[in-house]
Amino acid sequence: MLFNSLTFALFLPVVLAGAAALLPGWRWLWLLAASLVFYGWGQPGNLVFLGGATVWAYLFGLALGHSRSAHVRGWLLASALMGLIGSLAAFKFHDFIRAELPEHWVSAWPTLGIAAPAGYSFYTFAAAAYLIDVYRRVLQAERNAGQFGLFMAWFPKVLVGPIARAKPFLDQTRNALRADPAKMVGALQLVFWGLFKKVVIADNLAPVVDNAFAIAPYAAPLELLIAVYFFAFQIYCDFSGIADMAIGISRLFGIELPVNFRRPYLSRSVSEFWSQRWHITLGRWFRDYLYIPLGGSRAGVGRTYINVMVVFLISGLWHAGLGYGLGWSFLIWGLLNGLYQWGQMGLSTLAAKLAGPRLVPNWVSDLFSMLLTFHLILVSWVFFRATSVGEAVLVLQRIAVAIPDLPSVIRHYPFSGDHVLGVTLIAILMGVETLDEKRPLAHRLIAWPRPWRWGLYYCVLGAIVVVGSWQGARFIYMQF
Amino acid sequence: MDEAIAIPPPRGRTILQFLMIGLGLYLALCALAEVLVYRNGHDNPFFKIATADRTHYDWLILGASHAMPLAFDDAEAKIEMAAGVSILNLALQGVGPLYNDVVLERFARDHSASGLVYVVDSFAFRSAQWNEGRLADAELLARTPFDPGVARRLLAESIKGELPPETPLAYVTGFPKINNRGRFSIDLWESASLFDRRYRPSQTAAADRIAYLYPQGAGEPAVLEHYLDVFTGLIERAESAGMRVLVVKLPLPRTFSDRIPGEVDFDAALEDRLAARGLRLLDFSGQLQDARFYFDSDHLGRQGVEAFAAETLVPLLRLADDVTSGAGQASE
Repeated sequence: MLFNSLTFALFLPVVLAGAAALLPGWRWLWLLAASLVFYGWGQPGNLVFLGGATVWAYLFGLALGHSRSAHVRGWLLASALMGLIGSLAAFKFHDFIRAELPEHWVSAWPTLGIAAPAGYSFYTFAAAAYLIDVYRRVLQAERNAGQFGLFMAWFPKVLVGPIARAKPFLDQTRNALRADPAKMVGALQLVFWGLFKKVVIADNLAPVVDNAFAIAPYAAPLELLIAVYFFAFQIYCDFSGIADMAIGISRLFGIELPVNFRRPYLSRSVSEFWSQRWHITLGRWFRDYLYIPLGGSRAGVGRTYINVMVVFLISGLWHAGLGYGLGWSFLIWGLLNGLYQWGQMGLSTLAAKLAGPRLVPNWVSDLFSMLLTFHLILVSWVFFRATSVGEAVLVLQRIAVAIPDLPSVIRHYPFSGDHVLGVTLIAILMGVETLDEKRPLAHRLIAWPRPWRWGLYYCVLGAIVVVGSWQGARFIYMQF
Repeated sequence: MDEAIAIPPPRGRTILQFLMIGLGLYLALCALAEVLVYRNGHDNPFFKIATADRTHYDWLILGASHAMPLAFDDAEAKIEMAAGVSILNLALQGVGPLYNDVVLERFARDHSASGLVYVVDSFAFRSAQWNEGRLADAELLARTPFDPGVARRLLAESIKGELPPETPLAYVTGFPKINNRGRFSIDLWESASLFDRRYRPSQTAAADRIAYLYPQGAGEPAVLEHYLDVFTGLIERAESAGMRVLVVKLPLPRTFSDRIPGEVDFDAALEDRLAARGLRLLDFSGQLQDARFYFDSDHLGRQGVEAFAAETLVPLLRLADDVTSGAGQASE
């Protein structure tokens, strides 16, 4: 079931009404049942994968909790992670690797023919984090299988996260679940803003992007350039839109999920983009369960550089298969972002040594940093979106060659209504995000007189209804 | 936007006010969208019925896109004049017997016709895509004027499990019309502009077109049987409304017709059904084999329509009209 479907529009009020009608102590059971219905809707086979990962993590969690031997605990954790991450890797890469190898090597090696169901990457990562936390004794193993099942299956986050940590989640659901009436308006604002980002912005940009990338060798370079810019906003609005909805919907039930995006295109550096603003819960997962165990930045300069690159390459592998094929381009995407980090680390050391008086005002340097960061990320998105490394290089090459002629081409180019709509929507988004960066928009809205506030609400709802694209649009990040 | 802010929850009355204003705005949008449907309507058969200038027609034409050129430009007027009859062509691209049955039901409620020419295409009997799929198609719903009878039929189909519940809901709420990207453009099939073009035969184009129309090839026999049942129901509906029924196949170029999967079986199954009702399949698909008669791989162009009308359709309508009148006189 998708958040932008009519089925979900009917499902959510029923679940809300059911939760409100039940005693707070029993609500978790209702929400678990609702989550299973949500995840299995139309594809009940998905529940086998979710059930398998949940039972696996639950049992290994209990075993880790009971065992006192460090040796046994180490083996238990390794086995548990092998099962979770190994299955994820197998679903993603088994058939791809088999197809890449010469046939006479792999003739006796059968293809799996199984694709991971929607959200598998997200809940296996959540389960892996839970097991590592239990192993580290940061968290006690959850004994209540139902509560643990709810953590894994919680419907607002099961498809595309945020990758919630077990402790804060279970602390909330273990207590009597009670929605805070004072947070309802804010929750609904978030739900509809997320929906706006998804169906109005992302899904209206998508056709322009898809059309240009479908004929990359023949499309006009300006068309490709527009597609590259649009894709940056399409993927942001697609992913952050559903994250906003997940957080808002959870809040309606009294469950707080971690923030996943914080106005990423206002980042002043690539490291800020990845660590504080884009897919924050995944960044923190990699930091806590990969980067720091590898030694982080405390194992010497050389190791820090290697650790950073390892994290980005694995992040690239994790993203592979995101609806644009399973090629090497995701690895290049990770490599490119790792190189950006290396460049930044090297330059910041140099800048600290050469620090002198400021020659330009702060806002100018901030703006320059933002634009530079955005464009570095933009180049890496081409590898993310293209179906192969060759296609990505071709797109970048064709754009680069055409840049000197762009001013005259732009003057005469027959821009379509879709282009104008796309640019307008991006301008609205960036305007809102810039305001939100200075002072949260939700706080601003409280101070507005009711007619203005309601007027804005009706405009957003009206845009969702009138301009929103509702035909068969799926979420990009669901396709893991 | 993501920070959890705490504000006093609005009172019930405020919520109600907000919802009522929202509902009012939605209804206003609905009304506006309906006005645009009437302003920009052209091809949609429900629009044609709602804006028809007569209550009685001599002939009604139903079918898929192959029947549409019979009404392109001034073709229909010329056929009407030559045959001395009035015609309402309600064919629409990519629609099968179920869609046409809904159209016929809507037509028969406020109008009447002496005869029905049903232009059959086997693809429309091979898949739900061309039947239930077209009834649920948001692009078509966006062009369909609101009518309580159509809403009832869609609801009935949904209750039977033939249509998803979203379809009647979408139709009743008018959402596809409000959300229509082409709300300001005329509802005209773009191929109408190719009517005067002369087709250059292409095996690739014909193969692509067949692959599009028959995505599952000949498909399951049970599917064909089901849509033949629906078609039989349509004929019963037409006959009970006093229409004489002619079931025809229009001319098709060999490059196209030779590639149609399972056509012999289809013809046999259809003829069985028709024979049981005392009807015959009038198969003209072998006529007009020159490329100049077509504007693309399988649609009659202007020359094709004129030739088919002169040689076949006009005499057929005249003859059928005479027979009908004769039968009428005899019964009097």
